[in-house]
Amino acid sequence: MIQNRPYEFMVKYTPQREWIERRGILLWLAFFFIELGAGLFFISSFFNNLWGLLIGWLICSVLGGGTHLLYLGHPLRFWRIFISSGWKTSWISRGLYFVSFFLILGAVHIGLLFGATPATPLLIVTDIFAFLVMIYGGFVMNYVNGIALWNTALLPILYVVSGIWGGAELTLATALATGATGLGLAVEEWIRILLIGFIILLAVYFISVRYGLPAGGVSVREIALGRWSPVLWVAVVALGIALPLGVVILSFLAGLEATPVALLYIAIFCGLLGDLATRYLILRCGYYHPIVPSHVYSY
Amino acid sequence: MRWGMIIDLNKCVGCYSCVIACKQEHFLPPKTFWCRLLISESGNFPTVTKEIYPVLCNHCANPKCAEVCPTGATIQREDGIVWIDGNKCVGCRYCVMACPYQVRTYYSDGDREYFLGQGLTEFEEIGKKLYPHQTGTVFKCNFCMERIDAGVRNGLKPGVDPEATPACVISCPANARYFGDLDDPFSEVSIMKKEKKGQPLHPEFGTEPSVYYILR
Repeated sequence: MIQNRPYEFMVKYTPQREWIERRGILLWLAFFFIELGAGLFFISSFFNNLWGLLIGWLICSVLGGGTHLLYLGHPLRFWRIFISSGWKTSWISRGLYFVSFFLILGAVHIGLLFGATPATPLLIVTDIFAFLVMIYGGFVMNYVNGIALWNTALLPILYVVSGIWGGAELTLATALATGATGLGLAVEEWIRILLIGFIILLAVYFISVRYGLPAGGVSVREIALGRWSPVLWVAVVALGIALPLGVVILSFLAGLEATPVALLYIAIFCGLLGDLATRYLILRCGYYHPIVPSHVYSY
Repeated sequence: MRWGMIIDLNKCVGCYSCVIACKQEHFLPPKTFWCRLLISESGNFPTVTKEIYPVLCNHCANPKCAEVCPTGATIQREDGIVWIDGNKCVGCRYCVMACPYQVRTYYSDGDREYFLGQGLTEFEEIGKKLYPHQTGTVFKCNFCMERIDAGVRNGLKPGVDPEATPACVISCPANARYFGDLDDPFSEVSIMKKEKKGQPLHPEFGTEPSVYYILR
């Protein structure tokens, strides 16, 4: 673990704290819920899964919006972002617009579905906003060029894939809960592709950051070998990737109907846990480059 | 016009005068600093060198903090000073993240006093009236823009007249800091920057800082 003594602050690699410690922890949850809810809505829209749409919308609005609200501390602060012209340059401001439009259009679409009136053009527009909701968190972090772990074009892609993957898992959960076997079989195929895509993308992301800037190397070393390595190897690799991958292989070989439902639920839970843990590591291990010129510090 | 600062590391003795002057000038609450000294050691025995880097907001020409601000609370003036309007800040801390120099501070502990449990000192009470910092917002060095503005209004020249010059500059006993207009080729800071090869911190970030260091 890197332990900076007070006088070494910013002389050595310094981890960011504001977005993971104290109230900052809410932002970690907020991004997770927002993207998970949008992912569930996005996937459910392809299968006309009303429960998935509704639950996705609720996760995004109640859990995602609620944690964002708690983070900022006052509802009027949302309003202040909304009425400013910050969207021209700020991804947080753009994200607020994406989430707002997604929630409004999603509510209208769900309302129309309850009235049995299909509205495909509206759904397409809502899905576009759901996609933007999933990707904006990655762009928010990608814009921070002082933190090499975040400042990579792979991060928004990783967040989109993990959001859609999480959404597909929850869609499978709703299919299992409602007994919709056809939906379950169709989503299972998506999950296989998304899980493999997520694994490849995560590996490429860590490797590219590791061999990029020195601060990126420090971040990846902290994740893989440092204080937070148990989170990577247990929560992300063993529970979040290996276990769902095992269940996916089992269901592929034996068929979804032959796979124990309890095992599927466990795999879904672990997959989501792994996604959450991955996001935690990315936030927790974002290291700034030392402020002073390189001849002054050593690591 | 673009205000800027030159810090001569050959002269800095690490006395913390600038840090204290800044805290006093802006009535900064406990545990917050707009001006800091980064101290480290380099080299191996017996040729060890103590390195002192005074750091403050770089008032970048391309400030990342202003770009990411969702409410426009971080403002860049025409004279290059980057400041924060506390009335607009929503405390999202995106600017804290985006600043590669880590010079921004989120102010969350509004009621904290310097002497815990003993109430505010007279100085702290005056500070809360004269220079109120809003809890739940971000703050940082503003190049003592109040001093500059008041001085310019009174016909004084920042960087030359002490009343119109940032507190950290005039308090430096070693004269390690220089302040002036970087756009004026005949100003002291421009000449020093050119002749002594002033270097900004991390130019690779593309922020074009207004604070330059004369290296040892």
